[in-house]
Amino acid sequence: MNQVIKHSIRFVFLALLQALVLNQLEIGLGIQVMVYPLFIFLLPFEFSIIAMLFLAFAMGIVIDSICNTYGLHTSSLLLFTYLRPIIFKMFAPREGYDLSKESNLFEMGPRWFIYVFGFLLLIHHFWFFLLEMFRIDAILFILQKTFLSLPISFLFVVLLQMLFIRKPKER
Amino acid sequence: MRNLFAFLRRFQVFLLFTFMQVFALYTYFTYLNFPRSQYLTSASKVAGTFLSAKHEVTKHLNLSKNNTALQKENIHLRSQLPMSFVRLENGLVKINDTLFKQQYDYIPALVINSTFTKANNYFTLNIGSAQGIEKDMGVFSDKGIVGIIHNVSEHFSVVKSVLTENINIDVMIESDGSFGLLKWDGKHPRRGSISGISNDTRIKRWSKVVTKGGSGIFPRGIPVGKVEKLRTVEGKPIWDVVVLFSENYRTLQRVYVIKNLLKEEQKKIESLIPEDKPK
Repeated sequence: MNQVIKHSIRFVFLALLQALVLNQLEIGLGIQVMVYPLFIFLLPFEFSIIAMLFLAFAMGIVIDSICNTYGLHTSSLLLFTYLRPIIFKMFAPREGYDLSKESNLFEMGPRWFIYVFGFLLLIHHFWFFLLEMFRIDAILFILQKTFLSLPISFLFVVLLQMLFIRKPKER
Repeated sequence: MRNLFAFLRRFQVFLLFTFMQVFALYTYFTYLNFPRSQYLTSASKVAGTFLSAKHEVTKHLNLSKNNTALQKENIHLRSQLPMSFVRLENGLVKINDTLFKQQYDYIPALVINSTFTKANNYFTLNIGSAQGIEKDMGVFSDKGIVGIIHNVSEHFSVVKSVLTENINIDVMIESDGSFGLLKWDGKHPRRGSISGISNDTRIKRWSKVVTKGGSGIFPRGIPVGKVEKLRTVEGKPIWDVVVLFSENYRTLQRVYVIKNLLKEEQKKIESLIPEDKPK
């Protein structure tokens, strides 16, 4: 499938899934499931970061305007996008990234995915809940929200990839 | 000049990131308190259309519960109609009363989008300025208060709900009339608190809390909830009163918007109070 069409479909699907379904769920204990950073994460390795920032901005605005969060999702997603190349460089394999691959769970291996995506998602969630509460005396509640939401969001992301991304053939 | 361009090119990613981040944070922190436009909120036309479509699907989830509540209210209202009274004295004619003038009018509305897990929760209603909604009107349901209109477009409006941190509605304890401001701490969607009641007043548990109706947004006596417990505040002579809301905002669908017909008059007379001049 054409790359542009594939990523456009992912953009629309993830934005609407987040805004109309996941943001309406109440799980309790302050848990909020956020999967939309997956769109930015799965963009090609050699994709320009400027374009990526614009895409992140657009996606954040779409989710924010539907959910009345006025820039909260945008800010966290921009931070996620800005840190993506830096974290990728930190966890790069010795011979560099294979540009023909996509950065998903199956092609890069579960170990790499857990480290890199988990770390980026941790920063995203912490920044999001920090801005949402914005009080220093609520720091324990912020940490509770972050560390309870993180595994659930990660699980959702893994499930989404298992459902919608075709596994490469075993060699 | 060339150095400047070189600098800009070198840090272009960081500059773009900073610029967008500042924009996002600026809108986040200003829109929370002073919304200036309806773009980028769920009152906008595009987002409103999406949310209406979503509501078409999800409205059936709580339908039977909502219908029961409406039926109860209908029974209550029907019992006050003239046809449900026995006439005791013949010859009495009902005349148009001049002792009472209507002050509040109510506009029915549907909640098409709501959140309850965030630190600040907003509800979207399916009516807007075309139906006569204005900013700062009160909103309540058959069980209790809901919030204040925050932002209006032509066909949608956004309510700043009771579940926001600085909602500050005047409420009072119905039995003795001691009053304070309603607050929410951002944690549990069933519990709020009242601040400003001094701790020499005695408050019974489970006494009713209603609106005070001072600012002309809500009439007096709309239910808010019940006092669940009292907590002492360290170093201050006031109670922290925990209120259990009577409305469950998770299943809220049908609400009424309050139109105060005498609001202009109240504003006009209150603007005559001389302002305190700094000495």
